[in-house]
Amino acid sequence: MDAFWLIPALPLASAGALLLSAGRMPRLWAAGLGVASVGLAALCVALLARDFLAQPGVRQITLWTWMAVGDFTPRIAFYVDGLTLVMMSVITGVGFLIHLYSVEFMWEDASLCRFFAYMNLFVGAMLILVLADNLLLLYLGWEGVGLCSYLLIGFWYRDPDNGRAARKAFIVTRAGDTAMILGLFLLLTELGTLDIQALQVAASAQWQVGDTLPIVATALLLGGALGKSAQLPLHTWLPDAMAGPTPVSALIHAATMVTAGVYLIARHYQLFLLAPPTLEAVAWIGLLTLLLAATTALAQNDIKRILAWSTISQIGYMFLALGAGAFASGIFHLMTHAFFKALLFLAAGAVIHCLHHEHDIFRMGGLRTRLPVAFWSFVIGSAALAALPFTAGFYSKEAILRAVWDMPGSGHWLWAGGLLGALLTGIYSFRLVFTVFFGRAHTEPDRRPGWKMALPLGTLCALSLVGGFFALPLAGVFPARDHAVVNHAVEYLGIGVPLLGLAVAYLLFLGRQVSIAALLASPVGRALQALWQQGWRVDALYDALLVRPFTGLCHWWRKEPVDLAYNAVIAAAHWGHRGLAALQSGQLRWYATSMVLGLILLLAAVLRHAA
Amino acid sequence: MTDAVTSLWPFLVYVVAVLLLVATMLGLSFVLGQRRANRATNMPFESGVLSVGSPQIHIAVEFYLVAIFFVIFDLETVFIFAWAVAFFELGWEGFIAVLVFIAILAVALVYELSTGALDWGVKTRAGAPRPESRQPQEEQH
Amino acid sequence: MNAADFQALLPLLVLSGGAVLLMLQIAFVRGVNRSAALATLTLVLAALSCASAVEQAPRQVTPLLVMDAFALLFCAVFCLAAAVTVLLSGDYISYHGDEPEEYFLLLVLSTLGACVLVSANHVASLVLGLELLSVSLYALIAYPNKSILPLEAAIKYLVLSGTASATTLFGFALLYAATGTLAFDALGEQLTATATGRPMLLLAGAMVFAGLGFKFSLVPFHLWTPDVYHGAPAPVTGFLASVSKAAVFLVLLRLFLDADLFRYRILVELTGLIAILSMLAGNLLALLQTNIKRMLAYSSIAHMGYLLLVFMVCIERDNRGLAVEAAAYYLIAYIATIIAAFGLLTLVSARQVEREDVQLQHVSGLFWRQPLLACLLLVALLSLVGVPLTAGFIAKFYLVVAAVDGSNWVLLGALIVGSAIGIYYYMRVIYYMSRKPEQQVSQAAPADGLAVRVLSGALIVIILLLGTVPQPLMAYIRSIL
Repeated sequence: MDAFWLIPALPLASAGALLLSAGRMPRLWAAGLGVASVGLAALCVALLARDFLAQPGVRQITLWTWMAVGDFTPRIAFYVDGLTLVMMSVITGVGFLIHLYSVEFMWEDASLCRFFAYMNLFVGAMLILVLADNLLLLYLGWEGVGLCSYLLIGFWYRDPDNGRAARKAFIVTRAGDTAMILGLFLLLTELGTLDIQALQVAASAQWQVGDTLPIVATALLLGGALGKSAQLPLHTWLPDAMAGPTPVSALIHAATMVTAGVYLIARHYQLFLLAPPTLEAVAWIGLLTLLLAATTALAQNDIKRILAWSTISQIGYMFLALGAGAFASGIFHLMTHAFFKALLFLAAGAVIHCLHHEHDIFRMGGLRTRLPVAFWSFVIGSAALAALPFTAGFYSKEAILRAVWDMPGSGHWLWAGGLLGALLTGIYSFRLVFTVFFGRAHTEPDRRPGWKMALPLGTLCALSLVGGFFALPLAGVFPARDHAVVNHAVEYLGIGVPLLGLAVAYLLFLGRQVSIAALLASPVGRALQALWQQGWRVDALYDALLVRPFTGLCHWWRKEPVDLAYNAVIAAAHWGHRGLAALQSGQLRWYATSMVLGLILLLAAVLRHAA
Repeated sequence: MTDAVTSLWPFLVYVVAVLLLVATMLGLSFVLGQRRANRATNMPFESGVLSVGSPQIHIAVEFYLVAIFFVIFDLETVFIFAWAVAFFELGWEGFIAVLVFIAILAVALVYELSTGALDWGVKTRAGAPRPESRQPQEEQH
Repeated sequence: MNAADFQALLPLLVLSGGAVLLMLQIAFVRGVNRSAALATLTLVLAALSCASAVEQAPRQVTPLLVMDAFALLFCAVFCLAAAVTVLLSGDYISYHGDEPEEYFLLLVLSTLGACVLVSANHVASLVLGLELLSVSLYALIAYPNKSILPLEAAIKYLVLSGTASATTLFGFALLYAATGTLAFDALGEQLTATATGRPMLLLAGAMVFAGLGFKFSLVPFHLWTPDVYHGAPAPVTGFLASVSKAAVFLVLLRLFLDADLFRYRILVELTGLIAILSMLAGNLLALLQTNIKRMLAYSSIAHMGYLLLVFMVCIERDNRGLAVEAAAYYLIAYIATIIAAFGLLTLVSARQVEREDVQLQHVSGLFWRQPLLACLLLVALLSLVGVPLTAGFIAKFYLVVAAVDGSNWVLLGALIVGSAIGIYYYMRVIYYMSRKPEQQVSQAAPADGLAVRVLSGALIVIILLLGTVPQPLMAYIRSIL
């Protein structure tokens, strides 16, 4: 499988065909093309993986050099190692299942063709992102997925709210991307290359651990990662991004794109190892995000928003792992999370699909017998999410918590926070299951998911169960970690806490041995409920801290002297245009005269110089 | 500069002499001549013919066309003369070159004949009839 | 002259032979499609023959012409551009003028002139090529002789271009008087022998520059550009704006390089000044223009200003390689883009009465009516702006790198300011194209058909390829310099 350039090329070609058809392609063709291209790409990845496992080693191809001007020679080149392979398997594998699912989910939508075009474009851009051999190409993919995310959040653009959510996502991530491009410039000027591998070698040679430059550069890269992966403080766009169709949420805002930040850090781990303060910051940001998001998820009513907050929280775990230096565990969690979070979103989509687009979990209830497929998917997905023993999430989260415990310095604190997060995860995930699928039914489903929905759900269920046993081909990608003596107490706690969460959720939401209403009625409970429901009021905080002062300042400063400068530019341009346009009289004699005048001036200048 | 002056002085004297002569002739006739203002004073000289009508009459455009063709073909012969002078030095190569030159001229002549450029009055033209696509459109008025 | 000479000269011979055949064909069997087909065949054959001629390159054929790989590359580009122009004009010209066949003959002749120009390294061949190019263009501009605008444009161009040619000739006469030679490189040797800074030589250089500067519309000599672009038939405008300008620029560059006129600092500094003025004036004039052809005319003034930056960079002998490379790439990208833009204008105003006049309203809502054509104009405009992944970006990037290498910060600043102004008026066209169809006021029906679609698609692909895979062409240009 040397022709692995085919992997991104297939979805991109299909996206091109779908876009060029301008919606005139028959629905069946459009759906078939969209699914088949990703399926073929997945097949290519599988072939490549077989090759790779038989004969491990880095594979590189240079398709072409974009341009060679002076010393600047950006190449369109792909780089495949174990990390890339894991990412590609997730993107194409989970992507294929989600595409198949979308055929049924989106079948009645008028712009099916557009949907699949954007989805394929997204898969292609994401593959370019992970395959890129240099940062410039990576940035192209990075912006490509950002664009697709924007387009797909605002897919139902006739509702202005969706457009607003799309813009929010675009603008918030842009803040991070700006930091990232600055980081790119810094690396290019300091190290003279954007080639990822060469760059890291050069960085290790030039810089010492703890130097200022690597700290600044990694902090800037981290800015990009925070935006894309919806981590504190740039996480506010992700819950709103749920305005897009559910398969989009599953693919882009759970399984793949939002983990691009994790990939970015893992890909540049050598650089980050040179900057311990940044790594420490990564860990703390991860922890804070995961706690904030988990508590927020507890107080949400919208089924998709709960999942969105839980995504933010789980990516927090990945950041925590990266910060602790356990890159492989972070990537492992990325993979298992892709399985179970895609499963949960797709199951949620099935529920929404069958329930007249109902999003409020308190208007659902009792769906266990009515939608068994969705129910079992949810149970398995939630179990994996809560990291109940022997599910995929269990193994990855265990690995993270163990690694965090071993981290020198603040490791124990981080571990305790992560454990608290695990407890909260158990509570909110089973709160969701118990509320939606047990108890009294509030809404009757009007249809049942067909095979195109059930098949991806079943596959993802299996993956969420056995995904923990996969051995990732990451040996040689990341530095080996010496496993310190395993502290069994830590392990037992890690196993027990999710079960405790399950028990709490059972008591509160199913058995109702402890009344949740009493808790909520107390002043503290009410305050917390309100606080968490609004995501710790971060949006309000930004509104108060950034938006309001900005608009206020603009309002107050409307007639500011700075405007004069801009107006002067405009006036100068107009004035220049008028003045010059007045010369265009259209009269031949004036044209001839002007030529002669110009010639005279020219000759006069020359003569004056000669004299 | 002195060289220029020594070589140019006869010329300068000549110019000055011409100017003086003309000035003298005009000046003398102005001073000595008699003045009359009769009807015939401003008419063409005795044996001339009185002009009739405006001098700005329409001349058929063919005159200009033929005149231009004449100038062009006449000029081309200059090149042939130049070749004729160096006939032996240029040899066969030159002969072939001039042959090509004359052939192109001949083609131009054929072209002019068949496009009707040399026709006087009514144009006749060889070649295919005008294709359909060139029919004026209705909306084009 | 031997066989190798003929082989090296093949493109020019094919063009001349094609022109003669075309004349005979017109003499005996008239027909637009026949003439167009023969002209296309001639041009394509000439382009192909460049591949054969390059085997002999570089070769001095007679004292007049040097057929090196650089000249042959541009011969091929010109022939292809002219072929595209022929294809675009077919529909246009059959609605205008009652003897449309000679149009193609004139086009072939002016292409021949352009090819002679790029391969000229002697003043005589320069003048020969220049006049062949210009005289054919006068007739081409005036071709739809039933309309007022083309005639007006042709008269203006005739008078002013004649004046410019006379100025150039005067300059050459002075050069000849001072050095006694007309070949470019001999000129350089003579200039080295004579003392520098003689006023006559400087005057001669300035006059040559002014005359040729008129042809590619630099600032004090730019006033004709919008009127002529506006009045000429759109395909001819495209040809005039791309091939004619590129040919004149290249011959001026060759003259400066071979005769090393860069030694006259004052000349080059004036060039820089003119470049800055052209960038600013061109962009400012285009700013509020509602006629797209005039807008493109003004923008071409600015683009020629950008290109002139190359002369400043060439002062340092070490930078010349990069500068010429940049100029070559820029010109090829520019030719492709301009041909595409004017091709679109041709198609968009098909079957319209006053066809030479293309206003912004005529492209209003084009995206909804003709997505493919709209894409063509979109790509062309983005390339003119210099958006990444289009040909224009690489071209401009090249110039910027060359300018940075030459440390020409003032020119670079002007380039950036000019480009910033440019974004406004290019985007305005795109804005008009994307307006809702009901807002359109135009009744003009764009041309359609398989040939148009194939051609538009091919042009889009070329512009995008030049922007995404520029490396083969860059490497080739570098290898032949």
